Amino acid sequence: MRQRHDQTEIRIAAGSTVDVLRTLHDDPAFRFEVLADVAGVDTGDSMQVVYHLWSETTPDWLRVIVVDLARDDPRVPSATFLWKGAEWMEREAYDMFGIVFEGNRDLRRIYMPPDYTSFPLRKDFFIADDSARSPGQGVRHMEQVHAPAESSAPIRRSRAR
Amino acid sequence: MTTQIPSLDDPRVLVQTPATIYDAIPPYAPRTEREAEFYTLRDGEMLVNMGPQHPSTHGVLRLVLKIEGERVSDLDPVLGYLHRGIEKLGENADYHHAICYTDPLEYISSLFNELAPVMAFEQLLDLRVPRRAEYIRVLSCELLRIASHALFMGWMALDLGGLTPILYGFIERDEIVEMLAALTGQRMLFNYMRIGGVNGDLNHEFLSRLGDWMSRALREIEANTTLLNENEIFVKRTRGLGVIDRRMALGLGLTGPNVRASGIPYDVRRAHPYGVYPELEFDIPTRDEGDSYARYMLRVDEIKQSIRIIDQVLHRMPDGPVMAKVPRRITPRPGRAWAAIESPRGQYGCYAISDGTDQPYRFRIHDPSFVNLQAVVPLMPGNLLADTMAVMASLDPVMGGIDK
Repeated sequence: MRQRHDQTEIRIAAGSTVDVLRTLHDDPAFRFEVLADVAGVDTGDSMQVVYHLWSETTPDWLRVIVVDLARDDPRVPSATFLWKGAEWMEREAYDMFGIVFEGNRDLRRIYMPPDYTSFPLRKDFFIADDSARSPGQGVRHMEQVHAPAESSAPIRRSRAR
Repeated sequence: MTTQIPSLDDPRVLVQTPATIYDAIPPYAPRTEREAEFYTLRDGEMLVNMGPQHPSTHGVLRLVLKIEGERVSDLDPVLGYLHRGIEKLGENADYHHAICYTDPLEYISSLFNELAPVMAFEQLLDLRVPRRAEYIRVLSCELLRIASHALFMGWMALDLGGLTPILYGFIERDEIVEMLAALTGQRMLFNYMRIGGVNGDLNHEFLSRLGDWMSRALREIEANTTLLNENEIFVKRTRGLGVIDRRMALGLGLTGPNVRASGIPYDVRRAHPYGVYPELEFDIPTRDEGDSYARYMLRVDEIKQSIRIIDQVLHRMPDGPVMAKVPRRITPRPGRAWAAIESPRGQYGCYAISDGTDQPYRFRIHDPSFVNLQAVVPLMPGNLLADTMAVMASLDPVMGGIDK
């Protein structure tokens, strides 16, 4: 658990997501009833799912990070059993990162076309003119999926754990 | 040898086109439980495509409506026609550039789009913003909130078939936008917020326009609302339509006027105060009905509160610099930051991760209309086809923000 500015951060494993979220939502001591955000994060080594919650019992934001999801098959239980509104945010995380939310009834692409194959916000997806960071290596075909080992450009890994 | 090509104007000619993903019934097998349920038609049901170029969808949104006679039994919004990949672009630009990209997200209220990322980056840098800059931020944002709500009032009527109110809505918005153009140099995509302050102090033209407008703002807003508030057609079509109760509002994660119209006083300005809002006096208007009419009336109430805030800000505006000392090249220490603000449509958030370089490692934008639009799916079943727009307009989505 870490505290910085007005945010408290807890890190959990994928297996305990349901228990943690349910306790935070239902327990009268916590009452985190507002789900502010669901975001996917690709750290370069693993995937994370980040929830931001708000409760009237505290003025601070609570950040719940589900860490260490396997990069080739990230799976996490869906939060739609508590907040139906998480459905589209999870669809977005699936669309952009390929994170599978088990239990989401409608997990299909939301922004990209249905026949699209890659996940744009992953760090091994280089945008066509990413020459600012790596001159000469940036130009790639956008829909091509690159395994990190084969691509010549190094993928950017997060130093913020 | 000549082949006879039939004229396409001939009504007897049937032109066969292959099915595409833009058709109401997609040419592939359903991939999810919900999709399978939606695309299975019972007797008497049919699918109708509304959009993506429909004038009432507030942008390029496609609604696939499943209708039974005149009643909607289910619907499926299809997004992505305006997707520009702002998050990816932001992750490949440096911190100052990333802010520019957020401007066209929710193009009705651009200043709010800039404010959340700027606040997140300031957290990463542990930066304190001068007080005058904080006041100017509140002043310009509240002005834009009024402009956005004034335009909403017009739009809502336009979607119900009333042409007049939007003309008055645009008059109000135009005055504010001209004012902000004098302040920022741009009419729509202001690019005014900077990491550590704002771009430029208040100037004479802005203040004289503002003073002129403030002297009659309340009166004009009141005059505009008389067009609709007690209009019989408007009230009959919106009252009792699309009722969201307390539980449903929290479960759907609604924010902004939509949740406050259901009796939940959740406003980020009070729930999690930022800037100088703790020093200002204002009420959080709520309504208990939760129908389309309540959502409309709530925005009218909010305009009055915003005028009240502007009045206080002008009286308390401190002197001093409007920018903190910020280097051109920003390299925050590795860390994470989340900043949320109350935009005219609800809670607008930005989640930024720094990895120590001059580009954000993760640049997540959370847009309120994206979440709010979801409410249209549980609200519509059972209502008339013509009421789709009345429900959707009352939720006030802007596709630029939804599609990012």
